[in-house]
Amino acid sequence: MAITFKNVGFTYQAGTPFATPALYDVNFNIPDHSFTAVIGHTGSGKSTMVQLLDGLELPTDGEITIGSATITAATKRKTLNGMRHDIGMVFQFPEAQLFEQTVLADVMFGPMNYGMSKAEAEIAAKAALALVQMPESSYEASPFDLSGGQMRRVAIAGVIAMEPEILILDEPTAGLDPAGQADLMALFANLQKERDLTVILITHQMEFVGQYADNVLVFDAGSVVKTGTPAEIFADSDWLRQKQLDVPAATQFSDYLEAKGLPLHGALDLDQLADEIVGLIGGPTHE
Amino acid sequence: MSNMILGRYLPGVSWVHRLDARTKFILSMLFIFVIFMANNIYGYLFATAFVALSIIMTGLGFKVFFNGLKPLAMLMLITTFLQLFFMNTGTVLVHWWIFTITTDGVINSVIVFVRFMLIIMFTTILTLTTPPLEVADAMESLMSPLRKIGVPVSELALMVSIALRFVPTLMDEAQSIMNAQRARGVAFNEGGLIQRAKSYVPLLIPLFVNAIKRAIELGDAMEARGYRDGEHRTKFRVLKYTKIDGVAFAAFFIFAIGLFATRFI
Repeated sequence: MAITFKNVGFTYQAGTPFATPALYDVNFNIPDHSFTAVIGHTGSGKSTMVQLLDGLELPTDGEITIGSATITAATKRKTLNGMRHDIGMVFQFPEAQLFEQTVLADVMFGPMNYGMSKAEAEIAAKAALALVQMPESSYEASPFDLSGGQMRRVAIAGVIAMEPEILILDEPTAGLDPAGQADLMALFANLQKERDLTVILITHQMEFVGQYADNVLVFDAGSVVKTGTPAEIFADSDWLRQKQLDVPAATQFSDYLEAKGLPLHGALDLDQLADEIVGLIGGPTHE
Repeated sequence: MSNMILGRYLPGVSWVHRLDARTKFILSMLFIFVIFMANNIYGYLFATAFVALSIIMTGLGFKVFFNGLKPLAMLMLITTFLQLFFMNTGTVLVHWWIFTITTDGVINSVIVFVRFMLIIMFTTILTLTTPPLEVADAMESLMSPLRKIGVPVSELALMVSIALRFVPTLMDEAQSIMNAQRARGVAFNEGGLIQRAKSYVPLLIPLFVNAIKRAIELGDAMEARGYRDGEHRTKFRVLKYTKIDGVAFAAFFIFAIGLFATRFI
């Protein structure tokens, strides 16, 4: 399902003395089956945007189109419940959403709310738990007895088990160790290819953007200021730094070498950079 | 969730905002007693004028104060109706089945309603113009004589301050857990009563688990920094009476005398 934002604006607690504008004049287009990264400084409106996307808040201005559905300020809140069916949303620190007595029951909760039978939900839940590499022995354990990393994976399985067409990830790797972060990102990338999902990833880690994304939205002060492929976005590192953002380490290194006169072209990840350098010195290609 | 008026502080720079929290606290309490001196229409008019003047001085406008009445509207109506039906002296106006409405009943219910409204509005001035933590400090300061008879005043005050401090944190957390569960297909506020109650389980369990975790962490953090109970702790926020507090007390004193005088009109 493709997603379009047209002149979207949003104000928290509109019409009260506490009104705070969060988004204004947001325009972008996310193609079907793409892996879109959303980057931006803290407080630039990324998380607010995904809340609008999942129908948790209604826009105060403009129009959001998701597949065939349209959301405006006048949309009835009740119709949004049905719409969320196709959208899986992994919030920041999703382990806070665990509440059931067993891991399996918690993962089955979402699918059953969206109309799967108990048997179907169990199959979907087991598949999702296997995907996030939770051992079968943990299925009957209480989610509150797990480690932080495992809780995170169970919570993510709970979203994957809903079999959404759009998967929204709000800083899913925050607070994990580097190995856990890389595992999780590889899992999302595989899932996207296998199930042909549209993935929207909010992140501060440019390495993952360079490695996995094929489309990037840059947020600044409540609006989208740039869209493009990672190569286009990371080509102008000075501009990104002005927005308090960065380029991946590999790109940075490549830029330094280029400044020294080497004919490189802004690699987006370490493998690509290694290949280019090996190509320059004429060795065997990296495999 | 965000329309809870209880303890909602609205920042401002008026004289009322700058009053010492203890002054506002004491005057609010005194008002509840003083208002009972009014026994005729002039007394209530005088009191209403005083409350209106106080509200104008906060610079917040009347609207927020009327909003503050809403959560208590039910209580006010019930009390008023009880007065209306259970007062049986005076001339009978309407008699139907077991209900009798008399002139005294009508007069009394109006009086009760007005008195109730004035008390709520006047005490709302305290909560709207004073940060909750200052109210807690004021309570601690005013209760400090009780220390002599062994009441752990500073510990009680600390508990109140911590509880107040975590209200917004827990509200935010409730909001984000609610969003996460809505994304997983929970429809809050839909269906029958039992279904509604059930839909709150996925919200309340994580909220409690997190609140307990947070309490343990806070306890550890306080211990790690050497917190222990005891006297003579110095304060970060110091309460201080100034000239305007004297003015406020004087004004209230004049009001009380004036109100007493209306009894003889």
